[in-house]
Amino acid sequence: MARYGMALDYKNCINCKACEVACKEENGVELGAEKHRIWVGGNNPEGQWPFLDIASAAFMPSQCQHCEDAPCQEVCPTNATYYDENHVVRVDSDKCILCSYCMNACPYDARYVDDRTMTVDKCTFCSDTRLARGETTTACQNTCPTKVRTFGDLDDPNSEISELLRTREHFSLKSHLGTNPKLFYLT
Amino acid sequence: MKVGPLNIPIKEDFSLKSILDFEKTPLNIFLAVSVLTMLAMFAIGVITYLIHGHHAYGVTREHPWGLLIAVYIFFVVSSTGFCIVGSLGDVFGFKRFEMISKRAIFGSIVTIMAGFAVIAFEIGHPVRMMIYNVLTPGLTSAIWWMGTLYGLYLTFMIVEFYFLLNDDMKRAKIFGLTGLLVGLAAHSNLGGVFGFLNARTISNGVYYPTYFILTAFITGIYLSFIVMGFRYKLNFDDKVKDLLEGLAKIQGLLIAILFFFMTWKLLTDMYGGMPNRADVAHHMLHTAPFWAEVIFAMLIPFLVILKDFGKSPKLMFFASLIGMVGIFFMRYNLVHDTQVKPLQMMKLTEYQLPPEWVEYFPSATEIMISLGGLGLCILLYYVGTKAFNLDATH
Ligand code: SF4
Ligand code: SF4
Repeated sequence: MARYGMALDYKNCINCKACEVACKEENGVELGAEKHRIWVGGNNPEGQWPFLDIASAAFMPSQCQHCEDAPCQEVCPTNATYYDENHVVRVDSDKCILCSYCMNACPYDARYVDDRTMTVDKCTFCSDTRLARGETTTACQNTCPTKVRTFGDLDDPNSEISELLRTREHFSLKSHLGTNPKLFYLT
Repeated sequence: MKVGPLNIPIKEDFSLKSILDFEKTPLNIFLAVSVLTMLAMFAIGVITYLIHGHHAYGVTREHPWGLLIAVYIFFVVSSTGFCIVGSLGDVFGFKRFEMISKRAIFGSIVTIMAGFAVIAFEIGHPVRMMIYNVLTPGLTSAIWWMGTLYGLYLTFMIVEFYFLLNDDMKRAKIFGLTGLLVGLAAHSNLGGVFGFLNARTISNGVYYPTYFILTAFITGIYLSFIVMGFRYKLNFDDKVKDLLEGLAKIQGLLIAILFFFMTWKLLTDMYGGMPNRADVAHHMLHTAPFWAEVIFAMLIPFLVILKDFGKSPKLMFFASLIGMVGIFFMRYNLVHDTQVKPLQMMKLTEYQLPPEWVEYFPSATEIMISLGGLGLCILLYYVGTKAFNLDATH
């Protein structure tokens, strides 16, 4: 029983996309640009040369936010989308009817259709793979050369992520929507 | 009248021969050929879908709902509309509207069946849906409520129609009222499917659930003109004229209300300053389908009604055909505009700016299945007119 979340020291991201590759590899995500569980977002620098705002050109890795109040879960007609015992938002592919409501309801564009099962798929925090094998890190975290990602139990006060969230300022995306994301961006 | 299975009164001469036996006017032949073509398209579309899955559709990760959702909404709105018009007479007891009740209730059954036929090929696993809708119901989901209530509604409509055929007005009234209430609940839940989306500010809120009921009534009246026009070949007798004039007057009021609703929706969207709402509203105003909706579904029929306060039923028949084209665009716009704003997760295709608007255009398969739904609807209705006496008998 844990409450998993992830902190991202996003300013360290160098856009190498190793996490995108590791996720596909580890979790057997379908090939193709549309089929991604995680992605590295980027902002083009704002302003006009020579007054470019370099600080605005950050890279921003993202994925499913594992919302505590997940709109995708609320709208699922068959409860195929559920919170597992570790508060990870998961999809039971046996129950998913592919109505695509969750894809529309998720404010973070975190879901896509897996054509092999004709159901919706998304980030699982490697629950089916690495966590099931007893490992304590996710594939994206493990591979990151600049250690952007820290995955861990938010309920454990001694975990690295709890320590980070206590000592570093952070924000979450679209928090005004009341989704209570469990992805935290460190500033 | 002969009595079919389960005590259902069926027309004496109903047979395959009576179905094929229609006046061979050019218009009728054209209609028959069109319906057959649409049914063939349905078959081709469905087969293509079964082979290629959602790849045969134009839907994407960013625009997961496409034409088929719009067409499903189009049909179920039509059904609810028919149900409301049918209820005027046999539930609420307005004598003037009684003569259309049976026809409208039958219309509500065939339109929702066409809707179900279309949505079955949009939802990835319709059979699984029926199982897990019952086993693990998602009670917070508007789709669950909408689907379940529409299933119930169809049952009530069929039972009501059965009692209407048997002239059992008392029972027809009970089932009619229950069916109407369940139908309205189902239909507002369909609006809720969009209203609950807080990720899509343009649709979020109470607007769609209420607006759906209003536009259903409007759709029902257009359809009533169309079915009555075909029934009487535009030679209306005084009783029918009286009925249609009444409907046209109600329609005038409803369209006026809709103008008011839409104006305020647009004004608050554009000038309310909500992020992601104002820009979508401005964007909408610059698209052709939006103006098709306003001009066809509202403006033209409204002017026709204003001309002489609904006293030209023939003209209203043609205005209603145009109105239904507008209603289609209304549904399409609703679905598309909900998804048109990218979710801004800073996703970049390498060396490209993120798209300003999400693009979608229906694929040939989607168009074929949609037209097939229309063909199916017309066919079912036509067979119904051959099998049952849809005119008032008392
Ligand atoms: S980010 Fe989207 S998919 Fe993930 S839990 Fe939140 S709403 Fe659901
Ligand atoms: S697509 Fe699947 S997971 Fe998503 S809401 Fe529909 S049934 Fe639930």
